[in-house]
Amino acid sequence: MKTKKIAGNILFFAGLILLWQFLYTAACDWFLWAKPYAIPNPTGVIRCFLLLLSDGTLPAAVFGSLLRVVTGFFISILIGILLGICIVNSGCLARNLKPLILGVQTLPSICWVPFAILWFGLSESAIIFVVVMGSAFGIALAIESCIQNIPPIYIKAAKTMGVDSYQLYRYVIFPAALPAFIGGLKQGWSFAWRALMSGEVMSASMGLGYTLMIGRDLADINQVMTVMLVIIFIGILIDKGIFTTVEHRILKKRGLV
Amino acid sequence: MYLTLNAIHKFFQDTQKETLKDISLTVERGEFICIVGPSGCGKSTLLNLVAGLDTPTSGTITLEGTPVTGPGPDRVVMFQEAALYPWLSVIENVMFGLKAAGLPKDSQREIAETYLKMVQLWHYRDYPIHQISGGMRQRTALARALALDSKLLLMDEPFSALDKQTIHILRAELEEIWEKHKKTILYVTHSVEEAVYFADRIVVMAENPGRIKEIVPVAFPRPRNIEDAAFVALRREILSKVQLSAREIAADEFDKEEETLL
Repeated sequence: MKTKKIAGNILFFAGLILLWQFLYTAACDWFLWAKPYAIPNPTGVIRCFLLLLSDGTLPAAVFGSLLRVVTGFFISILIGILLGICIVNSGCLARNLKPLILGVQTLPSICWVPFAILWFGLSESAIIFVVVMGSAFGIALAIESCIQNIPPIYIKAAKTMGVDSYQLYRYVIFPAALPAFIGGLKQGWSFAWRALMSGEVMSASMGLGYTLMIGRDLADINQVMTVMLVIIFIGILIDKGIFTTVEHRILKKRGLV
Repeated sequence: MYLTLNAIHKFFQDTQKETLKDISLTVERGEFICIVGPSGCGKSTLLNLVAGLDTPTSGTITLEGTPVTGPGPDRVVMFQEAALYPWLSVIENVMFGLKAAGLPKDSQREIAETYLKMVQLWHYRDYPIHQISGGMRQRTALARALALDSKLLLMDEPFSALDKQTIHILRAELEEIWEKHKKTILYVTHSVEEAVYFADRIVVMAENPGRIKEIVPVAFPRPRNIEDAAFVALRREILSKVQLSAREIAADEFDKEEETLL
């Protein structure tokens, strides 16, 4: 069953690549609808990928980008948790700050780039700032909603068993909120990853976003495409490989799947 | 006097409803008190007030001379839903309150073992909550409540969500445990049969506003037989009182509607 599924996956993507090659050939060679330098093609992308891999550009870019996003993401988690808990515990913040955060959350993270450059210059901190601004608010809102959605009876029961407020958070609220929180982190991660690219495209001197911009500057559409595919692949890998796996394991332990 | 409720009033601002009116009750140590009444008479609200999960609009509640100001482990509540934590195993749930009280790990386990054996769940100690039946969950909740050795055990229709057969088994178990430990229990139920089965005294409540209609002492020897003639007679008597008050309210509300129409 599992091998059949994997075979299906391989077949699908092989078909997709074939279709891509066919469309490229049709557009650029047969009908001359487009100039070859404007359309990426599978062989070119593979060649570019191998080149970037062997000269060390790609591993360094991936490492640099991951380092930034992980740093930014952890700062976001800290800020998000603190902000979320403040909103939960204050009616005033819930009424006033929450709508504001909802609004800021809809702001594309690229809008923070001017601030980042003015405040931090063309530095690592500038990009990390963009990542934090892009994901912290989403995480705060996720924290707020997953604490709000805890069945009140869990908290009531704990109170009648004599927990203090530290214990209430440590032993009841956090574990109860955990599955939804992982879901929130997953979303926060995708915001952070996107924000990172905005930051890197605008102001980096290395990393995936920067490599993509080099591709543009060299008019090498295959390099642009290669980097895009790597960005997508890492996004999927972390989403499925880390967050979905952890989420699934927690839900399974609690009999929720 | 162990537990004293003195002229309790509860008025809910948001619904503008007088839920409880002038409730006064004293309970002796080791008494099993059942509270019955039509739905909406405020019996669960009353229990919440004693638990400290809500505060009365006026009036005082004292337990062993100490006024009740908030929830605490001396007044453990067992709810209608088991309210167990799905991220903990059966035994970890039972140990929860002991851990909160800061007991060393060994004595936590020791106490949990005693009570899990008492409710016959020792074999299931490492099971996750979602893998045990509804009856077992309530038994776990009972063990968890007993483990804290509270001064007062508050039970809010703890068996009402279970099937009949399980209810009978659990009733007998609770009765046996109570006879052994003589815990002071305040037990809210809508089942008059359950009240007559357990109670030393039955508090019959009426609604709109929620008030104590009558307190009926039950002197039958234990364990009680629900098919016994005297048992059945008392059950009927109390049931008619509960239903009567429910009917009075219906009539009352109907009259009011008539009045407003005219």
